Amino acid sequence: MNPYVLAILLSSLGLGTTLTFASSHWLLAWMGLEINTLAITPLMAQHHHPRAVEATTKYFLTQATAAAMILFASTTNAWMTGEWSINDLTNPIASTMFMTALALKIGLAPMHFWLPEVLQGLDLTTGLILSTWQKLAPFALIIQTAQTIDPTLLTLLGATSTLVGGWGGLNQTQLRKILAYSSIAHMGWMIIVIQYAPQLTLIALGTYIIMTSAAFLTLKTSFTTKINTLATTWSKNPILTSATALALLSLGGLPPLTGFMPKWLILQELTKQDLPIIATVMALAALISLYFYLRLCYAMTLTISPNTTNSTTPWRIQTTQTLLPLALFTTTALGLLPMTPTIMMLTT
Amino acid sequence: MLKVLIPTIMLFPTIWLVSPKWLWTTTTAHSLLIASISLTWLKWTSEAGWTSSNMYLATDPLSTPLLVLTCWLLPLMILASQNHITPEPISRQRSYITLLASLQTFLIMAFGATEIIMFYIMFEATLIPTLIIITRWGNQTERLNAGTYFLFYTLAGSLPLLVALLLLQQSTGTLSMLVLQYSQPLQLNSWGHMIWWAGCLIAFLVKMPLYGVHLWLPKAHVEAPVAGSMVLAAVLLKLGGYGMMRMMVMLDPLSKELAYPFIILALWGIIMTGSICLRQTDLKSLIAYSSVSHMGLVAGGILIQTPWGFSGAIILMIAHGLVSSALFCLANTAYERTHSRTMILARGLQVIFPLTAVWWFIANLANLALPPLPNLMGEIMIITTLFSWSPWTILLTGAGTLITAGYSLYMFLMSQRGPTPNHIMGLQPFHTREHLLMTLHLIPVLLLVTKPELMWGWCY
Repeated sequence: MNPYVLAILLSSLGLGTTLTFASSHWLLAWMGLEINTLAITPLMAQHHHPRAVEATTKYFLTQATAAAMILFASTTNAWMTGEWSINDLTNPIASTMFMTALALKIGLAPMHFWLPEVLQGLDLTTGLILSTWQKLAPFALIIQTAQTIDPTLLTLLGATSTLVGGWGGLNQTQLRKILAYSSIAHMGWMIIVIQYAPQLTLIALGTYIIMTSAAFLTLKTSFTTKINTLATTWSKNPILTSATALALLSLGGLPPLTGFMPKWLILQELTKQDLPIIATVMALAALISLYFYLRLCYAMTLTISPNTTNSTTPWRIQTTQTLLPLALFTTTALGLLPMTPTIMMLTT
Repeated sequence: MLKVLIPTIMLFPTIWLVSPKWLWTTTTAHSLLIASISLTWLKWTSEAGWTSSNMYLATDPLSTPLLVLTCWLLPLMILASQNHITPEPISRQRSYITLLASLQTFLIMAFGATEIIMFYIMFEATLIPTLIIITRWGNQTERLNAGTYFLFYTLAGSLPLLVALLLLQQSTGTLSMLVLQYSQPLQLNSWGHMIWWAGCLIAFLVKMPLYGVHLWLPKAHVEAPVAGSMVLAAVLLKLGGYGMMRMMVMLDPLSKELAYPFIILALWGIIMTGSICLRQTDLKSLIAYSSVSHMGLVAGGILIQTPWGFSGAIILMIAHGLVSSALFCLANTAYERTHSRTMILARGLQVIFPLTAVWWFIANLANLALPPLPNLMGEIMIITTLFSWSPWTILLTGAGTLITAGYSLYMFLMSQRGPTPNHIMGLQPFHTREHLLMTLHLIPVLLLVTKPELMWGWCY
């Protein structure tokens, strides 16, 4: 893509999120979200491939619907209470509509159906931006309004997302769809605790961004998009395959890796709030996701190499990509658990 | 504690920086040094109290025998793996020993933990290296299934444990074992509390394993390479027993009634798994099921919460750890020579390997709890205390003892006596390394006969 166009689009992406972060008026927040949607649309369609264009269209339609609903919700609230401020979303109809719209925006179940198909149609870099950057602005809004939203709705969204994220990913062989369902599951964990301890939502979001970035960057470095090609990554970069296996187990939430931290803290908060049954249900639902992460580990690292391969190994060429972000994200995705007190202090 | 933990962590740079031809020698020597330093833990400065080293890690008479067993096992694992790992490329050899060393680190921190959540995290952390050892270095296609069973059985039990521990922290305000042993007994009287009780124990019962949830064990033990089998049988199962013993302190008085189904399952499991052993054709599977059988006895001993029960449980855990590991090493020697685990293919070995037949003999005698070995001490104590708890248990435990003797003798006669098949006449003779390995397993068992007080735990 033309570097000037790319610069405009990326800076618009940054602008949109920053605008939403900085806003206290609903119209400005909506504007930030719309700028994000519009800026990422050309990035998604840049390859002019029919599948990419289809994904772009689906993404645009869902995001536009969600944004329109947000506008409607905020206007309803303004009509009913006279307040345009984000912190004053007090009308129950407005807050429920708003939460549903935002659930559609970030891909929470049961409004998640667009996410796997959209993510599948994108190249890995744009998919990374979609999974990580595009979640920040909506979460800023959710955290600000979480206190006024019906608790049952939030718990329902959270628990359903974790279960859907687990069961949906079980039958997938395409890695981008697997990462989409993993995103849905992680969003569920973030939403369930938001009414009790929003800082844990931030921690969960932060660790999710780190781990997903590690996963996407690994796939980008080894040019793999499905499990079959994942099985030959050992020949391209053996050290990366072992590190990625651990990063996938971190996504699954196994101690002593970073992914355990949000799950532990969220379970602690839920038990503090006298919700042990929901805590147990969430914890066991995470096991379903772990199954397909483990399957990826098996395909990539844990089966004997170099003896039995089902295909010829690809040519190994020196890579032209920068590997520093991959190294940083992978290391952080594996080793951050002992820093839990520091991170908790940073977000309180 | 740090004088053992820091050398263990320094094992990682040692593994990766030493030159290839000194790798195995150096790691074996290093881990033997760590094992000998760990023996200093056996001197308890305060009876039944914690020989504390810092706020987070401490040892007491319950954890010390298990810690020494863990540290003792690392050089043995490295010795046992030497033959089948050496043909691989050097970085893979280093990765393998790194996995063993990381398992060791997590186990030391688990047994030494004073905060229950620390114990939990280390308990779970041991899953990842074990999973990698089983699935990456196992030899048959079934190893993937074995790894999945292993991971998911353990996690399905331990995630409710995490919630239960967080609930405990809510109600008592602390999860430090140092403090909880002096806390007021909890008022446990509702259905919710009963579910909490079950949540606290199921993870450890799955790990032990209890008979109904034991299916992961034969798969994992059989598919793992020899070091994996050794560490699984000797130490990882004992994590379950140790966890149960720590948690039982807080779970009174519900345990009086609620333990019934689990005790029954444990005792019935002794008979069932023992009987399965008599029909096995796969040598490692036989040893794995015998582990389930012994651990059933341990679970029964812990669940009735008497002093003899606890002491018998620890003694049997230590003795079984050493003996079971020895049996897996012996099975591996047969496997490395014939590349088959089927018992009828490696028969009559006494004729060609006479000294090894002695090791087989001693190991099998220990397995069937011959006096004066510590296996007998543990079993007798548990059987006696179960009898005093309810006389009817003698039917199950007595029959279990008979069946144990039956399959141990079967294992010995099948592998050592009888006609030697023609196809194994020309097998490679035993290496000194393998004899050393067996000696290092069996000498501690024999030495423990002379000072069993080391293993008696709190009731010394």
